[in-house]
Amino acid sequence: MSTSDIYREDILDHAKNPRNQDKLSDFDFEYKENNPVCGDTIILQLKFDKQKKIKAISFTGNGCTVSQAAASMLFESVKGKTVGEVKKLSSKDVLDLLGVETFTPSRMKCALLSLEALKKGIKK
Amino acid sequence: MFDIEKTKKDFPILDQKMNGQRLVYLDNAATTQKPKKVIDTISEFYEKYNANTHRGIYQLSEKATFLYEEAREKVRAFIGAEKTEEVIFTRGTTESINLVAYSWGRKNIEKGDEILLTAMEHHSNIVPWQLLAKEKGAILKFIPVNKSGELIIEDIDQYFTKRTKLLALIHVSNALGVVNPVKQIIAKAHTKNVPVLLDGAQSVPHMPVNVQDLDCDFFAFSGHKMLGPTGIGALYVREDILEEMPPFLSGGSMIREVTMEDTQFEDLPIKFEAGTMPIAQVIGLGAAIDYLNSIGMEEIWKHEQEIVNYALDKVRAIDGVTVYGPEEKVERSGVVSFAIDGVHPHDTASILDEAGVAIRAGHHCTQPLLRAIGTETTARASFYIYNDKKDVDQLVEAINKAIKILK
Repeated sequence: MSTSDIYREDILDHAKNPRNQDKLSDFDFEYKENNPVCGDTIILQLKFDKQKKIKAISFTGNGCTVSQAAASMLFESVKGKTVGEVKKLSSKDVLDLLGVETFTPSRMKCALLSLEALKKGIKK
Repeated sequence: MFDIEKTKKDFPILDQKMNGQRLVYLDNAATTQKPKKVIDTISEFYEKYNANTHRGIYQLSEKATFLYEEAREKVRAFIGAEKTEEVIFTRGTTESINLVAYSWGRKNIEKGDEILLTAMEHHSNIVPWQLLAKEKGAILKFIPVNKSGELIIEDIDQYFTKRTKLLALIHVSNALGVVNPVKQIIAKAHTKNVPVLLDGAQSVPHMPVNVQDLDCDFFAFSGHKMLGPTGIGALYVREDILEEMPPFLSGGSMIREVTMEDTQFEDLPIKFEAGTMPIAQVIGLGAAIDYLNSIGMEEIWKHEQEIVNYALDKVRAIDGVTVYGPEEKVERSGVVSFAIDGVHPHDTASILDEAGVAIRAGHHCTQPLLRAIGTETTARASFYIYNDKKDVDQLVEAINKAIKILK
């Protein structure tokens, strides 16, 4: 796979117009994760409903196309999921969402930053 | 006369394709490539002379010791130190600065004392002082930078107080290529009786440096940024200061006599070189210095000025690209820090990589500096003796390609 393949229309769209960017007025937790290699950051807010399913999610931060698109796609996809379901998410699930087979090791960190934030945040 | 075509051929790694494109290596501020001469010197050492130094009573060890100390003499001459005893081998700039912080710092810095740094520092010249300041209850102060990333030193007196015990600053910025007027700054600090540590990681590889002329008290640098192997660097300390410094790492080699209660330490500089040192790397560094001398540091600096000015003109001319650092034509090391507007530098670096161009993207271990000039990250192309205008042209072409894909 060539590098330009990761800069597909849908990935660029999510990176440039990330979904779920509005800060929540009411949330159960907020968690900040960063990637020391490039300084990418993701600040995540989550609100659960009574059944412990994700009711609302929001993220802000800055970073490269890969980290921002992955965050936008992943967080959009976890709405309505339970804590147990989120814990089971793997890096493969994120790659599938992006429609990318694999990344170079350094870019893989960008791709998985949002998953890490989500899992660590939920654990807390 | 400096022959760039011939120079390029001295570096085996450059003779390869990356994604089908000619490899253009522009991450020299991070580490430099090695000429065949350096690689061969290291192999030759292992094939013919390998033994531990300073202790063996057999010929191999004596030869290894001779080569090791010969390399120290090469370093001394290269940085213009007065005595070989003032040159201590370390793992690199980071360890050199840590050595000063732990040894000199712990002895001389007390509660309420001030350590003066600048906003331009690499993290390696911030974090050791933060740890020391926390341990001692000392205070860190920073000389600020302006929006172009230059030190604000028109009224430098204001930064010194009666409690200022050390000024530690970067000679040449790794992130922006800014060359600080260190000679004037050191002279000023000395009128206040403040010793000065220079981080020379980005100066020694690129320009003539003479520690006696600069009159610095400590000078730290790395071998791998000047064509030498990784794992080796040096620290220069003026002898009268070094004599008063307690050991940093301790154990083998650095002792004269050990009893169960106490230890007599070795003379300088071995007192600061505990354990078996990276002998092959020291000798490799000596070979790198020979190589640099064979071209001449004046020539190298001149060549870099030509390339960086060519690159600055070309990159600044691209629509939608911001170049960081001073705008006016000032003396500047071979660094072009830039960003495609609205594009994260990581994405720029990925697309440049596909075009065979290796650059750095990120904060370059200078987060306080980048925040001071209004950004978090930049893309950085940094040049060295084997880069030519063709390399710059390939860089510019790749930036244009990135703009097409990402904007």
